[in-house]
Amino acid sequence: MASVSDAELKTMSQEERARALGMMTEQLTSRSMFIEFKPGEEARFGYPWAPDVDFNKRTEIDADAMTTTEVNAKIRGLMREGFGTIVVKNPRGKHSLGVGILSRLNLIFEGSLGYFGTGLIDGPNVRINGRVGWSCAENMMSGTVVVEKNAGSTFGAAIRGGDLVCKGSVGSRTGIDMKGGTIIVGGDTGALSGFMMQRGRMVVCGNAGKNLGDSMYDGTIFIGGSIRSLGVDAVEAELTDLDRKWLTRKLTQYGLMPDKGVDHFTKVVAGKQLWNYDNLEPSEKKLIL
Amino acid sequence: MADGAPTKKPLDRDPYRLGNSFVFPPRVIDDIHVKAELGRYRMRGFSLFKKIPHWDDLTFLPGTLTRFVIEGYREKCDTKTVIGPRAKRPIELDIPVYVTGMSFGALSYEAKTALARGATMAGTATCSGEGGMIPDERRYSSKWFYQCIQSRYGFNPNHLVLADGCEFFIGQGCKVGLGGHLMGQKVTDQVAEMRSLPAGIDQRSPARHPDWLGPDDLALKIQEIREATDWQIPIQLKLGAARVYDDVRMAVKCDPDSIYIDGMEGGTGAGPHLATEDTGVPGMAAIRQARRAIDDLGKRGEITLIYAGGIRNGADVAKAIALGADAIALGHSVMMALNCNKDIPEANYPEEIGSEPGYCYHCHTGRCPVGVATQDPALRKRLDPDEAAERVYNFLHTLTIEAQLFARACGKTNLHSLEPEDLAALTMEASAMAGVPLAGTEHTVGIADYHHL
Repeated sequence: MASVSDAELKTMSQEERARALGMMTEQLTSRSMFIEFKPGEEARFGYPWAPDVDFNKRTEIDADAMTTTEVNAKIRGLMREGFGTIVVKNPRGKHSLGVGILSRLNLIFEGSLGYFGTGLIDGPNVRINGRVGWSCAENMMSGTVVVEKNAGSTFGAAIRGGDLVCKGSVGSRTGIDMKGGTIIVGGDTGALSGFMMQRGRMVVCGNAGKNLGDSMYDGTIFIGGSIRSLGVDAVEAELTDLDRKWLTRKLTQYGLMPDKGVDHFTKVVAGKQLWNYDNLEPSEKKLIL
Repeated sequence: MADGAPTKKPLDRDPYRLGNSFVFPPRVIDDIHVKAELGRYRMRGFSLFKKIPHWDDLTFLPGTLTRFVIEGYREKCDTKTVIGPRAKRPIELDIPVYVTGMSFGALSYEAKTALARGATMAGTATCSGEGGMIPDERRYSSKWFYQCIQSRYGFNPNHLVLADGCEFFIGQGCKVGLGGHLMGQKVTDQVAEMRSLPAGIDQRSPARHPDWLGPDDLALKIQEIREATDWQIPIQLKLGAARVYDDVRMAVKCDPDSIYIDGMEGGTGAGPHLATEDTGVPGMAAIRQARRAIDDLGKRGEITLIYAGGIRNGADVAKAIALGADAIALGHSVMMALNCNKDIPEANYPEEIGSEPGYCYHCHTGRCPVGVATQDPALRKRLDPDEAAERVYNFLHTLTIEAQLFARACGKTNLHSLEPEDLAALTMEASAMAGVPLAGTEHTVGIADYHHL
């Protein structure tokens, strides 16, 4: 890697980059991807081949007559040209729009998205002035996604970082397998929200459906309204001052701060009894029946 | 008794004993005793223990006078294998076998990198398995599948774009319908961090994917991955063998580039003993059904069929290809090439694990005596990755030339030209499952006229 500059990496094909970074060789001494992000080195907020974009350079795409692939290819092409703010008009509920963006970008959709909208992203700030279908922003690593209206089920499935916000209500299984980051819902959420949650925080200003936080390993869920029922191994916990401050900051940031403050929120965490099921006492083992 | 009279040998059985139960033999009784103490199902590694119709129940019908044989060592027998020919960048392998997905966590760093290096030397591919990418595995693998598994542990879109193929794990043969297992002993700080889990917990992965539920959603999910990878790389669906014909038809409708069927002979690093014994269908049945499903939908040559499960040698490879597989994935046997169950000087199996070499199935404990299925630094030192990589290469190469041996004997200049007609069954069950005639007959169990199959 030492002999290859970032500028050179940007011009390479994927295979050439992999070889230049020491992959696909039998040498034991090459740099690994982990070393590439060593904190002591020169600050990098994306992969070296990620395009340098200028947020003040703005453009628009009319997606009305375009396929998903054409829209996504157009977005990538504009990013390579340095456009840092891209407005997509007439998305018309197409699936998989804006997926796989792995660097900084202001992306605005003027309309609704279908399934898997803005999934697999790492870094962009996205605003969706409409609704989204299932699995919005699934596996998001960082950045922000703000949905102005309602969202479908599995909102933020397996996200690992960033802020994912829906100002309306969402379907079931919100934040399923969540591994980090923050999910904020202005309205209600459906059943099995936070299922097998591992890390991160989820805030629902309205009500939650049944089996909230079922089998959660860790993480924290805050519910502003009623909870139909808690799932296996999910338990209520005391709201701390730190929680109140964090809730106030986050909800204010996205314009979702309730008039009555945040004291009414219920905090739900993992009971941690399932962490080592084999070691439970006989009576505790009935937990999963 | 008078001296010199013939002595009668006493009976070695008690004539008053009525017999032994086949339903409750001592092994079953012991199992009940253990579970009555534990209050939970029993976990173990390895593959199924019971006998099922298997590759040994098939035999080749090489050329004699009715077929022209190909000269071994002199005449070419092509082994090149392409996975996902429709993709912009198909995976091209020199040999028809590759290393299947086994997670870092279940296996040690040394084992994972040795597999990658051995596979690269042999001109074939590896797969990340659950738990995300370890950079050195990617670095050492010339062709590398990135697995998208139900738990999404460690799944990172930045790593996805480095992959040569993306495999959706939907199930595995030895525990169809269940998620993965990694017991707390193996969830070290490093493994836990990669998976975003607390260290030391018993990790039972979800059995369903978080963001899709059925084939209609899966088709859209595949489209998402294609968009994220610019439609470049093959997308593969890995299914545990159960209702294979219907499952594969549904899988084909989701439009992947390859379908991977895992037979019930497949192994695991940890799973409930009963699931390993009592789920799935044997490989010979699964391949035939999968092949028929793909062919019925007119996708032969477009969607690659990969088989894994219980493959031990080149004969098994050749039989699976003859039944319809395009490529073979290996897990358990390449672990054995690494040293699994080998009596190495550093290991004391009876003291350390409570069993003899050759009988160890304790991958789930993290106490692997040969440093393969462990995260323990002291045990990991027992596996020399340089030597292990060479053994993996040797084994993969040997499998290939063994499979070539059968192909040549059956008159094929390409390993992939093997066909069901090159096989006969040694048992009625194998005949019915594999859809090939009973040896020495023209009778295929369950099929009125084999020649019109």
